[in-house]
Amino acid sequence: MSQPDSSSKRERRDAARAERIERERADAAGATRRRRLLQLGGLLALAAVVVVAAVLISSGGGSKKSAATSGGALQGVAETAKLLSGIPQSGITLGNPKAKATIVEFADPQCPFCKDYTLNEMPAVIQKYVRAGTAKMELRYLTFIGPDSLTAARVLEAAGLQNKLWNASDLLYRNQGAENSGYITTDFLTKVLKGAGADPARAFAQAGSSAVSSELGAAQTLASRYAVDSTPTVLVGPTGGTLKKAGATPTAASVGAAVDAVLGSSGA
Amino acid sequence: MSDRALRGTGLVLAVLGVAVAGYLVYVHYAGIDPVCNIAHGCHKVQTSQYADLAGVPVALLGLVGYVILLGALLAPGEPARMLAALVALVGFGFSAYLTYRELFTIDAICQWCVASAILMTGLAIVCTWRLLRTPVPAAAAD
Repeated sequence: MSQPDSSSKRERRDAARAERIERERADAAGATRRRRLLQLGGLLALAAVVVVAAVLISSGGGSKKSAATSGGALQGVAETAKLLSGIPQSGITLGNPKAKATIVEFADPQCPFCKDYTLNEMPAVIQKYVRAGTAKMELRYLTFIGPDSLTAARVLEAAGLQNKLWNASDLLYRNQGAENSGYITTDFLTKVLKGAGADPARAFAQAGSSAVSSELGAAQTLASRYAVDSTPTVLVGPTGGTLKKAGATPTAASVGAAVDAVLGSSGA
Repeated sequence: MSDRALRGTGLVLAVLGVAVAGYLVYVHYAGIDPVCNIAHGCHKVQTSQYADLAGVPVALLGLVGYVILLGALLAPGEPARMLAALVALVGFGFSAYLTYRELFTIDAICQWCVASAILMTGLAIVCTWRLLRTPVPAAAAD
């Protein structure tokens, strides 16, 4: 009689044990799942913080504002004047109109790489070739970054009608702000024009003129002809002849080498 | 999908990522244009404002990220899984931002950047999946 009772007790104990183990396993699995979801949540939050910081740095975050773009004084007026003093200017051209070599730069006023080229590479080219009269430079504006690029380009081209394009362009790059951040205002452009020695009222009046539209259209046509799709791009060639790209990323060395090749082949 | 399969997939994606980012780092420092047969926008993208972050080329940051991912996928243990998931999620988020910039700001598409964005998306999925499906430790039996 005691046999079935004992067997039944053991079965109940085993069943209870199995149930407990299963419950513990389920609890452990649930705890692990919760822990993993918490880990994932933490990782997602951390990743979001890192990405937002990277995006803020990448897009400027307002940190690239120069004094002039923040309403302060213009920087680099003396440096620009020194760089270009004594070199003839006519419209978009800087240097001796009869120079054997022509250097054409395609730029966007808002392009930060154009600023780098203008401030770090171009001065050496001006000193060695333009000031010496062996090469002349032309500045062609492409305005792909945003509407402010076109606003600035029109006013700068109008400064070209006063033969002050190169001064105004150099000064704008020295005071450039973040792309499409709204710093290209009438106030900012007035400072640039004044610093360049141009008449701001006349430049603003002529910014919408057909002469300015014609220059911008000519830049687009030339860019299409030579498949220029980015700025800065520099083309070099004999004056009046076919131009060639001076390196994927123009430098003083690559532009200099291209000019030397032109001067060498023309016997200058 | 088993952990082994997820890990293998992640390793393949990370190796491809190292190759793509390594190529972009090479062309950046060699000063040449990347081969760009599909979208023809590589030069414009690579010379844009968004090609570097605080002065460091984005391609170099990508290469470092892929190398860390490779190491984290090869290493055992939960910290390595978490590191892989974190790096892949950061890479995915920043790739999404750069793709947005390509489409709506730079107005050009670089096929190498798109390839890297796709690889990083795959890695984010694989590494997150792998983190979530880590085998549940068995409950202690009596």
